[in-house]
Amino acid sequence: MSDVNAVSFTILLVLFILVTLIGFAAARWRRADSMQHLDEWGLGGRSFGTFVSWFLLGGDLYTAYTFIAVPALIYGVGAAGFFAVPYTIMVFPIVFVFAPRLWSVCRQHGYVTPADFVRGRYGSRGLALAVAATGILATMPYIALQLVGIESVLTVLGLGSSSNSFLKDLPLLIAFVVLAAYTFLSGLRAPALTAFVKDILIYVTVIVAIVYIPARVGGWTHIFNHAATHLASVNPKTGKPFGALITPPAGEWAYATLALGSALALFMYPHAITGVLATARRNVIRRNMAILPAYSLVLGLIALLGYMALASPAVNAGVKASGGNAQLAVPLLFEHIFPSWFAGIGYAAIVIGALVPAAIMSIAAANLFTRNIYREFFHRGASPAQETRVAQVVSLVVKAGALVFVLALSKSFAINLQLLGGVWILQTFPSIVAGLYTRWFHRWALLAGWAAAMIWGTIVAYRQPVPGVPGSHFGASTAVVPVLGHTAYIAVTAFVLNLVVALVLTVVFRALRLRDGADETEPADYSADPVDAPAPVPVRSAS
Amino acid sequence: MTQPSRSGRHPVITWGVVAVLLAVGVAGTLVVPLYARTAPKLGPFPFFYWYQLAWIPIVAILAFAAYLLTSRTSRTSRGAHRGQRRRDE
Repeated sequence: MSDVNAVSFTILLVLFILVTLIGFAAARWRRADSMQHLDEWGLGGRSFGTFVSWFLLGGDLYTAYTFIAVPALIYGVGAAGFFAVPYTIMVFPIVFVFAPRLWSVCRQHGYVTPADFVRGRYGSRGLALAVAATGILATMPYIALQLVGIESVLTVLGLGSSSNSFLKDLPLLIAFVVLAAYTFLSGLRAPALTAFVKDILIYVTVIVAIVYIPARVGGWTHIFNHAATHLASVNPKTGKPFGALITPPAGEWAYATLALGSALALFMYPHAITGVLATARRNVIRRNMAILPAYSLVLGLIALLGYMALASPAVNAGVKASGGNAQLAVPLLFEHIFPSWFAGIGYAAIVIGALVPAAIMSIAAANLFTRNIYREFFHRGASPAQETRVAQVVSLVVKAGALVFVLALSKSFAINLQLLGGVWILQTFPSIVAGLYTRWFHRWALLAGWAAAMIWGTIVAYRQPVPGVPGSHFGASTAVVPVLGHTAYIAVTAFVLNLVVALVLTVVFRALRLRDGADETEPADYSADPVDAPAPVPVRSAS
Repeated sequence: MTQPSRSGRHPVITWGVVAVLLAVGVAGTLVVPLYARTAPKLGPFPFFYWYQLAWIPIVAILAFAAYLLTSRTSRTSRGAHRGQRRRDE
């Protein structure tokens, strides 16, 4: 541990302690009469206004994975990684359209999760279970990846270099235990309040980075020229160029479908829906769609850090020494370019930027488990207090699971599953979003479409080899589309299959007069804008 | 708090305008051949990069315009239907 930079480490530690204190204090923030209700613990009392929601939704959109993985991708392959920018542009018009309807119907009926809505809309426990299980399955590796982000900072800091594997993992373990403790206590109020610190750190770091770093690595012209030359050179591992500075015609379909598919998928993730449902008023969501793009701008600038890292010989040497781990590019850039005190702030931005979404994600997964598995299949008459207790415990289990993931299994396995998570979560889109507008689809047709797309998407993703490693699996998120012949995002191709199956089978099932479930919602529910949160009583007791 | 719809603007027209605004917001960066090129550069930035970054403020403005339009429509229609509302806005 001799090579740990004391200044950077101290600053990181102080900021971590500050966030921990805020996390615990959050339990008292806007305190409700009783925290023993899932609306309080799991949705922060459904009370967040425009300002708080902006931070909370920003925490969803924008995780350590974006801070680490997007620039790593740009560092590795160039333009193809920049799809994250159009992705975070398209997401706002799309969400603008359907999120207010989802908010209204959930507020009217006291739904806490997207699967609650599906259950009420289609009267189908099976379809709701599919949506809930997909959500939990897709969220777990996402949490694990937050840990990977923290780990990359600890590695660069020198904390992960001990030969003793317990000592090596200890800092990560402590960080997560502390996070688990205050999430358990404060629920969604903790990430909402700590998101303030997180975002201040991130905005400061990014603005300083974008002003300070380019001059230190030779200026913007040099950065782009250097990237162009490097990306065009041949990668000895694959025998092809590393990438390109501008997306080539052959990559345009992949670029567009990755952006569109990710944008459609983002607000299907349980943690993003949790952020939407926690808002106080219907209009808060739409107002936020106009101010959330500020995060996209930050994301775009962070993405360009990848090219700056490429222009820094010290970073390239560091990445090479780690065995080609491009995830280290940004932390290494901070280490080599910034004075150590500011590097500490940058590290803290990444670490806290991972903890906030990890908290929201574990809460969202816990809500799903509690409402749509525990309550639905194990304990029909669960009281709000029991629900809350179960959700608190599950949030711990989910985090422990993610920790085991990262520590016991290979890191690349976590990344593969994250890739699959994106493919999977998009398959809940037809049930949720189509359901907001029409009851035309038959519940079993939606279930069949979901199943077909899940299986097909998983198989296709499994078959993609890592470039330069024949016989390997989960090497890419894009694949050649049957019939069309273009290379496209697997999630989008699977989504089209999903829709086609659901459409065709709905026609068939309707012709066969197969029994459809009861719909407990009214057309007016979808545009309702009640001022007060629903009364804290179990809503679906009759079903 | 019933507000008569100003200048007789019909909700359907408003929603049509909103749909166009939002569709433009998606299409601007979805059609990759539009911007997969180096020139014209903005300073050292290739077109590919500054074009996409420029769409971020544009989409914010489009979303804000859509927000203003929809909040006015829903206010007038709701006011007409129920005659209640406006508490914490």
